[in-house]
Amino acid sequence: MTNISDLRLALIQADPRLSKFNPLSRILVYDDFDDGINGWSELIGNHDGNLDNVRPIMADLRPPQLSNCTFFDIGTHGSVQGSYALKLATRAKANHMAQLIKRLTFVREGLVQFETYFTYKAEQIFKRSREEATTWDGNFDPSELDFGDLTFSNDVCEGHEGTRYHCALRYLNTDEHGKLVQKWMYKTSVQTSTKMHRAGIAPPAVDYHVQHPDDWGEVPGGYQPLCYNEVPTKINWHYLRWCFDTKTRRNTELQVNDQVMNLRDIPVPVYEITYKGLSHLLNFCIDVRTHRNVRNFLYLDSVLISVDW
Amino acid sequence: MRQSFTAVVERNVRFDAEFTTEPYEAAWANEARWFVRVLEATGDSAKLEIHPQISPDGLFWCDEGSTSLVVHSPGLYSFALRDFGGWLRLHGDVHGESGSFKVIIYVVLKG
Repeated sequence: MTNISDLRLALIQADPRLSKFNPLSRILVYDDFDDGINGWSELIGNHDGNLDNVRPIMADLRPPQLSNCTFFDIGTHGSVQGSYALKLATRAKANHMAQLIKRLTFVREGLVQFETYFTYKAEQIFKRSREEATTWDGNFDPSELDFGDLTFSNDVCEGHEGTRYHCALRYLNTDEHGKLVQKWMYKTSVQTSTKMHRAGIAPPAVDYHVQHPDDWGEVPGGYQPLCYNEVPTKINWHYLRWCFDTKTRRNTELQVNDQVMNLRDIPVPVYEITYKGLSHLLNFCIDVRTHRNVRNFLYLDSVLISVDW
Repeated sequence: MRQSFTAVVERNVRFDAEFTTEPYEAAWANEARWFVRVLEATGDSAKLEIHPQISPDGLFWCDEGSTSLVVHSPGLYSFALRDFGGWLRLHGDVHGESGSFKVIIYVVLKG
């Protein structure tokens, strides 16, 4: 007698679109960006209709783009499958961040898994310093130092005026001095909300996710040099699987290619104040931030979100 | 159903000199309509002049060739483009003493 679980797995593995993922028992979302934006929208801070009241850190997070990954030297790269990927692009301004959000609510608490194939790049720069030009060895390109960081995060709220928290996992490619770090980080403080800002109980945010820019810890086993691939015009796609548990309010695992990081012992900061109108909130956020006056880009070929209920 | 998307390329920003909007990828679309909503205009005889630009790669740009949109006062202004390739942006300039324009700029794409 056919086992339902085996049949489900066989169907997934036989589907060329799904076979590259490892979904939990129920697929909630499958976004192939050849089929449009699929509900990923620009994030903006709360306002009362007057855009002057949007907090600066959340006033210019940039609209999503559908990119065929075209570069000046080889034309169109395309995505993993098909032509288009979801693209986030910062301005060419140090510490500028681009962020997108997908907004859901949850049916039941439990495991939630976000999977994607992503790549990242800094914009091509043509006028390097003479020193950089003469020391180029044909392999390591200084543009790899132009890429700052990328972050996957959520926003969860348990019921009416229930407990609210964000999980956030950042790939810190370079530090503020432009030195390669290449580590996955987790945040250690809540992000300043508009409510906190207007109540005067938190300083203006400099780093969107945290109260203070230093409020990040290193994920154990999180050092991971990724395949930047030498130049700004070659992109390689990376598999990422991020699982969190809304029963325990914790991340559980982060997998990027063959590196699996256990996150169960990492504390997730929780808001002390409550929020109205956010019952069963389950949002997903992706962002890219440049540390230099160079545009940074994050591309997602496809996204699969699954749950265990 | 066709695909569509409205991108807010500039929001609630004030321009008082020459500027370009951020590059926006639109290769999937076959029509683009720009909307420029002028929230505030200051300066006697000031004018905001805007024309579209296109690019093969998001790095090197040329004028698309359409006649410039010229704006003197608050309101909503629009123009449409076709056959624009893969990348879009606007080039703008503010003329007139102490002139400034606070705007929201949308590009509405369909394909």
